Amino acid sequence: MTTEPTEIAEDVVESPPDAPAPKSRTRVTVRWPRLSLLVRFQSVLGLVLVLLGGIAFSPRHNGAILFLTADNLANIVRSVSETGIIAVGMTFVIIAGGIDLSVGAVLGLAGILVARLMVDGGWGAVAAIAAVLVAGLVFGLVQGAVSTTMRIQAFVVTLAGLQLARGLARIISGDKFISIGYGHGPGLAPPSFAVLGDRVGQVLPVSALVFLAVGAAASVVLNTTRFGRHVFAVGGNERAARLSGINVRRIKIATFAICGLTAALSGILDAGQLNFANPNSGTGYELAAIAAVVIGGTSLFGGEGTVVGTLAGALLLGSLNNILQLNNVNANLQLVVTATIIVAAAALQNLASRRRAP
Amino acid sequence: MPTRPRLRPMVLLAVGVLVLTSACSDGTGNTAEAAAHPGALAKNCGTNKKFTIGFAQANNAEPYRQRVNADLLKAAKNYPDFELTIADGQGDSNKQISDVANFQTQQVDLLMISPFEAQPLTPAVTQVYQKRIPVIELDRQTANDQYTAFVGGDNKAIGKAAGEYVAKTVLPDGGDVAILQGLTSTTPAIQRTEGFQEGAKSNPKIKVIAVQPADWLPDKAQTVFDAMLRANPTIKAVYANNDLMANGAYLALKGQNKAGQVAIIGTDGLPDPAGGAQAVLNGQMTATFVYPTGAEAALQLAKQILVDCATSVSRNTIVDTTLITKDNAQAVITKAAN
Repeated sequence: MTTEPTEIAEDVVESPPDAPAPKSRTRVTVRWPRLSLLVRFQSVLGLVLVLLGGIAFSPRHNGAILFLTADNLANIVRSVSETGIIAVGMTFVIIAGGIDLSVGAVLGLAGILVARLMVDGGWGAVAAIAAVLVAGLVFGLVQGAVSTTMRIQAFVVTLAGLQLARGLARIISGDKFISIGYGHGPGLAPPSFAVLGDRVGQVLPVSALVFLAVGAAASVVLNTTRFGRHVFAVGGNERAARLSGINVRRIKIATFAICGLTAALSGILDAGQLNFANPNSGTGYELAAIAAVVIGGTSLFGGEGTVVGTLAGALLLGSLNNILQLNNVNANLQLVVTATIIVAAAALQNLASRRRAP
Repeated sequence: MPTRPRLRPMVLLAVGVLVLTSACSDGTGNTAEAAAHPGALAKNCGTNKKFTIGFAQANNAEPYRQRVNADLLKAAKNYPDFELTIADGQGDSNKQISDVANFQTQQVDLLMISPFEAQPLTPAVTQVYQKRIPVIELDRQTANDQYTAFVGGDNKAIGKAAGEYVAKTVLPDGGDVAILQGLTSTTPAIQRTEGFQEGAKSNPKIKVIAVQPADWLPDKAQTVFDAMLRANPTIKAVYANNDLMANGAYLALKGQNKAGQVAIIGTDGLPDPAGGAQAVLNGQMTATFVYPTGAEAALQLAKQILVDCATSVSRNTIVDTTLITKDNAQAVITKAAN
């Protein structure tokens, strides 16, 4: 049975009258209840609008709508798959009230690790992928543990994590690119790793499939498990969650571990798609991921959000860039449009939010 | 309270994407033109036609690449049949792969590209080339032979010219020399440094006593060169892999009140107000070596391929470097402004 997490929070805020909640946390009744449902899936609606716009403004060739060609749609999903996977992990962290700035650097580190294990270490593809996924998970776990035990803000810990991961990636790679050639024998990666850069049925990139699968799995975890409900509870009101017997520390650490895992997965896909690992890969991806999460309607205050929203947010950004580019709109203008959408999404969410600014 | 059916939109979204992706057909397949010009490099070519050319730039944020874009757009004005569009790879191979894919979707008549990284871009460029869209690579090459032509400078030759210039003209009596290197994982940084060391050997009295990376960045170069100078006060000349780092070296010298006491040789020689040519004119730098954009040469190749229906073109076009000193700096700047 799902309990609406925000309600738990509300109840407890009201119960201890001697401890008034901070002003920014004060909850007020929904001003426009219908709007709230719309906001919950604002990015899905936004995505539909962008797709319709894409069809309307698509360049045509011999009557065919170029935007709707299979190749083009597959390219859109591929182009956002890496930041999208990270955004899914980031959704957990942000709902629990945290932030993770290390993800882009962890992507770079994971790419270098998987390449070195296979190319120099002679590891099999599955073993190397599993080892790097575990490494990413542990990296996130440690960040979460440092943040919760030493009571340092997630922003600071993961800022340090960003530097650490980037530094490790450069040290391990010797500050050089690692080319991934395929074959059997020393210096070559197992050919099975190349599957990550393939396209299913010549059209759908494997990375896009992984992205959608990760999104589906994360959505199930967040919405149907006890863990998922606890993540909402912790982000909604940490003290209330603790009072109701939730191990807040463990939940927070788990969200960082999930985020580290998704960042490592993206790094592996990056190396697999490019046949190449660069210690500087993924620079700035943390911001692209946070943008997708925010557009997806997840509140940076924690306690609210959906994975579906994040997926749609990532696809919205990808589709928008695609249609602007197909129409040869200046790349710098694309950034301006993205900025506008981020602010609009946040404003829309505020409008219908259950909390009012102080 | 009933469980919210939160999964449903998720499933719809996934199914929607899959259906759209698989149901729509690929819009290519224009073979009628091919018969008109057998053996031509381009499947669509001839006079009195309009052509679209897509240029996938590696990163618009670099001054040199902005110059390439400006030179290309300027040169394209001489070809009224060409419509040139530029996509910004933003220094990210993933972004640039999407740019190439988008140009393919738009069915451009010719692709130009400066790959941000060779290997990651190779499959995307190969795919375009195999669809019989001619590919001209500018400044940097992809990792196989699946492109029509390459236009660019020779980094090693430019480094060597700089080394010989220092050996013969700047320090004919020899002395200690330092090198500020670009990001060590990039080919131009490696080749320019190798070339310089080779060129400097032409004078056995020249000693390269310090080589440090400053990652192409002026602020980093300032810090690095400041330390170099303190450790080696005997340095008489410094060679920087680009003009931005040369400017950093100048600032470090100025900070130690030694401006003018160490010769600074740069690379790039951009004619913009903040570029190397102006710095040479101002006396901040001794000399710089132009890294050519090759824009004019690239568009000439495009004309041969698209308008003249050429069946073969020059595979490698190496554009020569120019030495900029105080004598010709003003002329270089004036020429670029017109």
